[in-house]
Amino acid sequence: MSEHVIETRGLTVYYGRHRGILNVDLNVEKGEVFGFLGPNGAGKTTTQRVLLDVIRPTSGQARIFGLDCREQGVELRQRVGYLPGELALYKNMKANQFFKMYEYLRGQNGAKGYWQELAKRLDLDTSRRIGNFSRGNKQKVGVVAAFMNRPDLLILDEPTGGLDPLVQQTVLEMVREAKADGRTIFFSSHILSEVQAVCDRVGIIRDGQLVTTQRVEEMVTQRVNRINMIFADLPPADVFNIEGVTELNRSDRSVMLEVQENLPQVLAAAAENNIQDIETINVSLEEIFLTYYGKGNGGNHA
Amino acid sequence: MLRLLWQELLFRRNAIIGWSLGLCFFPLVYIAIYPSVADEMAGLADLEIYQAMGMSLGTFPDWVGSILIIFMPLIAAIYGIINGTGTLAGEEEDGRLEMVVTLPLPRWQIITAKAIAFIIASLIMFLVVSTVSLLVFQSIESQIETELTGANLFTAVMSAWPLDFAVGMLSLFLAAFCASRRFAAMIAAAVLVISYFGNNLAASTTALEPFEPLFLFTYLDASGTAVMEGQEAGDIGVLVGIGLVSFALAVFFFQRRNLTVGAWPWQRAHVS
Repeated sequence: MSEHVIETRGLTVYYGRHRGILNVDLNVEKGEVFGFLGPNGAGKTTTQRVLLDVIRPTSGQARIFGLDCREQGVELRQRVGYLPGELALYKNMKANQFFKMYEYLRGQNGAKGYWQELAKRLDLDTSRRIGNFSRGNKQKVGVVAAFMNRPDLLILDEPTGGLDPLVQQTVLEMVREAKADGRTIFFSSHILSEVQAVCDRVGIIRDGQLVTTQRVEEMVTQRVNRINMIFADLPPADVFNIEGVTELNRSDRSVMLEVQENLPQVLAAAAENNIQDIETINVSLEEIFLTYYGKGNGGNHA
Repeated sequence: MLRLLWQELLFRRNAIIGWSLGLCFFPLVYIAIYPSVADEMAGLADLEIYQAMGMSLGTFPDWVGSILIIFMPLIAAIYGIINGTGTLAGEEEDGRLEMVVTLPLPRWQIITAKAIAFIIASLIMFLVVSTVSLLVFQSIESQIETELTGANLFTAVMSAWPLDFAVGMLSLFLAAFCASRRFAAMIAAAVLVISYFGNNLAASTTALEPFEPLFLFTYLDASGTAVMEGQEAGDIGVLVGIGLVSFALAVFFFQRRNLTVGAWPWQRAHVS
């Protein structure tokens, strides 16, 4: 197994009789941001935990930097920064004490004190006790802890969860900068706009199985927009009989559409029918999964 | 591993201070009041209820054995259970352990650091209690008649530590083995309570005699003679042995366990 930063072959985890993941074959290339997507319970966190040797696979193999995740876990974890999805911290410690402890335990190898720069950038007051932090500030602590040793591989499980939009953008910038430095990022998220903003490729996992991997541009072309329009008078039923457009709901003066293509034609038709207001609705990634991979796709519904 | 050990000790500093102060209650109260109750205690020496509880109160060494050498380690063992189960299963349940095991540290070092931190913490507690016992004893020595020396007393208190070590390591093993802290603590507490009462009752109930070797308190002699002459090396060896075997099992199961998912050691591979 080769030059891939992350490589798994037939990776399977069962908890007793409960399925974790099933035959996951995954390759993540050096220097790319790989989005790992899937509904809750699909197996994202299990996969990440196997990579970090928190959970041992039932069968199959996982390697990072060509090193076996179980046998050579200590060696490879020196080069990995991890932000868990369910972040739990030492509540009685001040943030700066936590970072010093983390630095101390990790042995920073040239990145000593980098956490201060990161904390400043995220506007995190490190003199306060972690237990007194809001969820967003705790998440900042986790983000700093993951980035603070300038790791070659970052495994980030929903890194922007709980953060305000400005800080979300800062975190995404940090991801982009890490990529620019030639580092690799394994990025799990539910937020399509984030994935679109930073990821080169995505892998979609459902029911423990890797359904597909594809480049983000390909995925974006399959994106679905949902639009709710309010008219002065309800337009005729056939106005939106346009290819790639599905009318989902029609009530009183409003019409809700799902638009996969031909958005300009939809807007033109709406304008001709005296539209008064328009609202776009972000479709969750899970819905896109179901739209694209649902019926007639091997019965792999989440 | 020294870095990890240092952190584990830092986490325990409040517990060390609090428990040390709390355990000093025994010498500060029970040794200090002895001159005022000595005559009364001598009269209670033969009561069966005390004998059933493993207590003999006739002399000052008896009093020290029955109060200090029995109850102080019993209370200290509660710290052993809290620490042993909380430091592993507790951290696993609340998610903090995930942050530690994903650092570049081998698992055996993580659990060894926790075990050594417990050993150091509990030894500090016993040293504090032994020292306070010695000081209190010196302050009342002129008021009582006894052959016991300060050195005897200091050694007697310290030699109760192996019981605490055994309970702490047993709790650590249970925490490494069990999928939940509550379950581990429940078993450890049951072992402690059954050991205490089982040992005392075995002294007066022949039906329990065959089970006596199973009770941890069998290996802690709280008689006045033991206070004067020290614990038997064999008894200390058994308690230390139980602690070491428990630690070895804790390392074994912690190395094998799937962490963070509440899984038992045998809940691994069953692909259907």
